[in-house]
Amino acid sequence: MPFTPKKHGFNASVNEVTLGTGDKAVTFGGESTFPFYSFDAEAKHRPIIGAEISDLGYDDETEGYKAFFGAADVVERAKKAAAMDEVAFICLHFAAADPFGANKSTEDCIAEAKAVADAIDKPLVIMGCKNIDKDTELFTKISEALAGKNITVMSAREESYKAIGASAGLAYGQKVSAESAVDINLAKQLNVLLMQLGVSPKSMIMNLGSAAAGYGYEYVVSTMDRVRAAALGQNDTQLQMPTITPVSTETWVVKESIAEEADLPDWGPREERGIDMEVTTAAASLAAGSDAVILKHPESIRTIYAMIDSLC
Amino acid sequence: MAKFITIGERIHCISPTIRKAMDEKDPAPILKRAKEQIDAGATYLDVNIGPAESNGPELMTWAVKLLQENFDNVPLAFDTANMKAIEAGIQVYNRAKGKPIVNSADAGDRIEYLDLAAANDAICVALCSKAGVPSDNDERMSYMMELLERGMGLGMDPLDMWFDPLFLVIKGMQDKQMDVLEFIRQIAEQGLNSTGGLSNNSNGMPKHIRPIMDSAMVAMAMMCGLTSAIVNPCDLRLMETIKSCDIIKNNNLYADSYLEI
Repeated sequence: MPFTPKKHGFNASVNEVTLGTGDKAVTFGGESTFPFYSFDAEAKHRPIIGAEISDLGYDDETEGYKAFFGAADVVERAKKAAAMDEVAFICLHFAAADPFGANKSTEDCIAEAKAVADAIDKPLVIMGCKNIDKDTELFTKISEALAGKNITVMSAREESYKAIGASAGLAYGQKVSAESAVDINLAKQLNVLLMQLGVSPKSMIMNLGSAAAGYGYEYVVSTMDRVRAAALGQNDTQLQMPTITPVSTETWVVKESIAEEADLPDWGPREERGIDMEVTTAAASLAAGSDAVILKHPESIRTIYAMIDSLC
Repeated sequence: MAKFITIGERIHCISPTIRKAMDEKDPAPILKRAKEQIDAGATYLDVNIGPAESNGPELMTWAVKLLQENFDNVPLAFDTANMKAIEAGIQVYNRAKGKPIVNSADAGDRIEYLDLAAANDAICVALCSKAGVPSDNDERMSYMMELLERGMGLGMDPLDMWFDPLFLVIKGMQDKQMDVLEFIRQIAEQGLNSTGGLSNNSNGMPKHIRPIMDSAMVAMAMMCGLTSAIVNPCDLRLMETIKSCDIIKNNNLYADSYLEI
């Protein structure tokens, strides 16, 4: 008897969310199956890749990275990354804004965000420095300065969702990413709170938290998996936002990616290791249900794009 | 598992306010009661227009349009002795938020309500009784089988028959309560859906007692597998109990705000 596969459809789907404006605006989400289950139903949109451009640490980047980008200038790097077909959006990372670090001023960050937004036609995602107060100020003011650009700020957290939701989400009509730290109940709670504030679920994205593969990463997979199961299986409208996962910020800081070959000759070239960590983590995140991943190294971006391309 | 479905019972022509509003086609009192129930978390609204012998179809059409136009196509249960009124209501019913419910058929005089539901691709509340209260669960089961066979013979999805075990009044039939719960378990074991007029159990009890007894009953019934109930959604204690049971049963993912959503 021939094998007849039984399709497992859901009467629910992940929300579709559009980032950016104009010809290069990108819509993602919309799935009604588990990740890459194209045998159950065709995915409306493929997962997408964002390129992280950080304003800090260019000198410490790998040779391959520097060879691709050529110079430290943030705007020039954003342009080069945006020119890659594999890249759907640019994630401008203001790591230098940290008041306990380089403490770059909010005004300088705004000016840089504007310069990048003017230089590229792909959607822009703004990533902060993880300092709640500084990030809240950055997101609010950059949202105002780039009103109408449909940017995304990442991320609104439990401590900051009110100010960021009210400014970026409500006043300036930008997209808000809700960040929780690998905690499914908190992820839902944060979405509920943002929605109670009046932010439309169509303006929301989730950052469920991440880790580098091998660093407690199984919790990330389990969380993403259960979020997708609740979104589809229970038609839980509070968890149907598409998921965006910052990968590069996790993987390029662990010892596998920073230890020099001179110190650990057995481990081989640092750049290869870093790319491997980034690719492995990104592939696992996509397989667990991320609708978008943020990567840094051009080689990782190309590799993950090829994976998505062959599975979709 | 799907979340527990509540059918709000407060649009009922036994209420003088609603009766008057239906007689005079006055939308305000009906919209007010609908809003209260939806805000309190009702999934479906029951629309009971009574026997409505003279103007049933016209009245039901008016009520369906009124409620669905004002409340984003809220799903409805049609509750009247006038079958033509149910048909007329379904004609203008928008299914965007769920199939209509025919309330209700039994294995006796009201068995044709099942035919009506089948012909109109509706859900049907199916009372496991014929004439009066079934004496035991064997009797309930035989009526349930009768209804199930008839419905399936008419092409209905078995999950569209929501079997009603008949909740019984505790003051008078206290010794039968565990039978009702056991029967709910039997329905659930067959993978079928169930519903019922939950507050029957607390009939005749003081007003302040009823929410407590109804909450205890719904929790025990959900443990046995009850999938839906016809309730007063404005009973906060009851709704909080249902939402909490949905969490414990893993029908809904926990978040600190679960009672507010």
